[in-house]
Amino acid sequence: MSLSYPKRIFLTALVMLIGLLMIIAALWLPPIDREIEVMDSLFVIDITDSMNVEDVRFGNEHINRLDWAKEYTRQAILSMPCGSHAGLAVFSEARSLILMTPVEVCANYHDLMQMLSQFHPTMAWARSSEMSKALYTAIRQAKEITPQPTVVFLTDGHEAPPVHETLFPKFTDTPGEVPGIIVGIGGSDLLPIPKTNEFGEIEGYWGINEVMHRDVYASSRGDAAELNENRPRTEHMSSQKKSHMETVSKRVGFEFISSPTSAQNLIKEMQKISVTRQQPVKYDLFVWLASVALILLILVFLPYSLFIKQHD
Amino acid sequence: MSWSNPYLLYLLPLAVLPWLSRNNEKQIVWQALLPKDSASVVIGFTLYLLASVTLASLIMALAGPHIPEHTVQRSGQGAEVIILLDRSRSMDQPFARRHRFRLSTEMNFKESKRSVARYYLTEFVNSRPDDRFAYLLFSEQATTILPLTYSKETTLATIEAGGLGRGLTKTDIAVALKQAGKMFDGETYRGARIVLLISDGGQILSTEQEQQISQLLRENQLTLYWIYMRSVTGMTLDEKPGESILWQGAPERQLHNFFKTLDVPYRAFEAGSLEEFSEAMATIDQQHYQTLMLEQRMPRQSLADYFLWVALLSLLPLTVSQLYTWSGVSRAYHPKKH
Repeated sequence: MSLSYPKRIFLTALVMLIGLLMIIAALWLPPIDREIEVMDSLFVIDITDSMNVEDVRFGNEHINRLDWAKEYTRQAILSMPCGSHAGLAVFSEARSLILMTPVEVCANYHDLMQMLSQFHPTMAWARSSEMSKALYTAIRQAKEITPQPTVVFLTDGHEAPPVHETLFPKFTDTPGEVPGIIVGIGGSDLLPIPKTNEFGEIEGYWGINEVMHRDVYASSRGDAAELNENRPRTEHMSSQKKSHMETVSKRVGFEFISSPTSAQNLIKEMQKISVTRQQPVKYDLFVWLASVALILLILVFLPYSLFIKQHD
Repeated sequence: MSWSNPYLLYLLPLAVLPWLSRNNEKQIVWQALLPKDSASVVIGFTLYLLASVTLASLIMALAGPHIPEHTVQRSGQGAEVIILLDRSRSMDQPFARRHRFRLSTEMNFKESKRSVARYYLTEFVNSRPDDRFAYLLFSEQATTILPLTYSKETTLATIEAGGLGRGLTKTDIAVALKQAGKMFDGETYRGARIVLLISDGGQILSTEQEQQISQLLRENQLTLYWIYMRSVTGMTLDEKPGESILWQGAPERQLHNFFKTLDVPYRAFEAGSLEEFSEAMATIDQQHYQTLMLEQRMPRQSLADYFLWVALLSLLPLTVSQLYTWSGVSRAYHPKKH
């Protein structure tokens, strides 16, 4: 295709004029409002002794379950879009303790990480680990927070003292009222649980005779003595209690994911169940306008003569 | 200056395109027919240059030039405040209740000591724009869950979380005070440092604990405020003549007496009612407006507009000249009939 000289000049002038208008628009058009979907979340991290077992890995590193939980939380917070909110809580004994209600993740990333780095077994106020009850308190407290967050409960599922198969702690709220996910941590082999002293240093392991091996109901029943004798005594050791966490998550209407490999697994699951909010963000159109201007000008100045054979 | 999309800078060589392009040239019969005109040589060169500048500055604007988020030092009026809020179970009990002959079974959590403290702390934090806050969680152990921060959002969220759920069983004020003192170890002195202890009970400290606390507070130049949320109506931290013999030597009083012996500024506020509590907070608010060196976070600043301006100012004469050429050419091709 070949254009006559006046047409070429006219087209060039026209395209330049459009490009000029694009740049003017890029400079003066105000940013427009765009809605993005954001989530509110509350990360509850198990800080009981069983979390000190080193049977998980992040990349090539062999680390303990608590460090894994902290690193996973960090990555999950990083993966959330700006405008999302995240809060932090710890669980020990039979309750969850909320330390920070959800705050915006991008502006407060540093403070969130500072707090997360303080999570150590020394913070624990008692030496038991009643995971189901702690989960219930987390749910109850999440209801007091507005907007109500999605609970992410990171634990190995270890219950000390153990719970009875049918006489478990009662969940009095409506299952599914507060959406949430249990993230299971830990390997599948039973490993000894390190014991921590008051300074948080590991001092030996929990011995077989130092922990309860039966729940309170079974241990006080005389007629079950024979049955109890035959039960394995393994409560001083810990592994990821997948089936228990599955049961508990069904009871409270939570999802359960076991040893996720990337933070995206959690984020996707959260997006499915969370009550998302629309958050308006300012969106500047200048990138699009300036790109159009650039492409138009490149078209003007492309040396067509180099590609098209000249027919003289 | 940094770039958010630095890879776009690889497009910069496109700026030479105008020099290669022959799109606007007219084929003429013989070069020598053209008159030699130095002014048009200069104009032609300028137009090529303007076209290159336009392309380059558009590419650079798209590459996202910006000054990254950074902090600047400035001096403000305020203080560095460490909040030590008692999380013991007793703080769940109603604040400033009237004396009754029998124990009330109803628990009004809206007016528990902890929620009253939370309410006034929130007000306090909101009224002090330049302060840096830290929050120390203490039961039997003390953990600095929020190191000194300028962020009002995280401070308020931590205070709010402090009001949720039930209290923890025990508290150890000695551990908490030591932790608060240590927080400033190795920090440069920026301005007034305040430890704000809010609790409803006292504690008898050992001589060793007293020495450690007094040394830490003195070395780090801390000011200590104790807002004592009175549980028993009538009891004061200082002894009064003719009072109940039961109150003598109460842990609260022993702690108060120890605080008075410290070499650091100390003041106790006894809050027996909501008014007294808010007055205490207001007094602290007024006292601490000294110069404080503080870091202010400057948000990321985009510089793309400057590049767009360059593009605009170079494209404008280019377009004008092109339009002028076009009007000239169209007149030459379609001469007006006389």
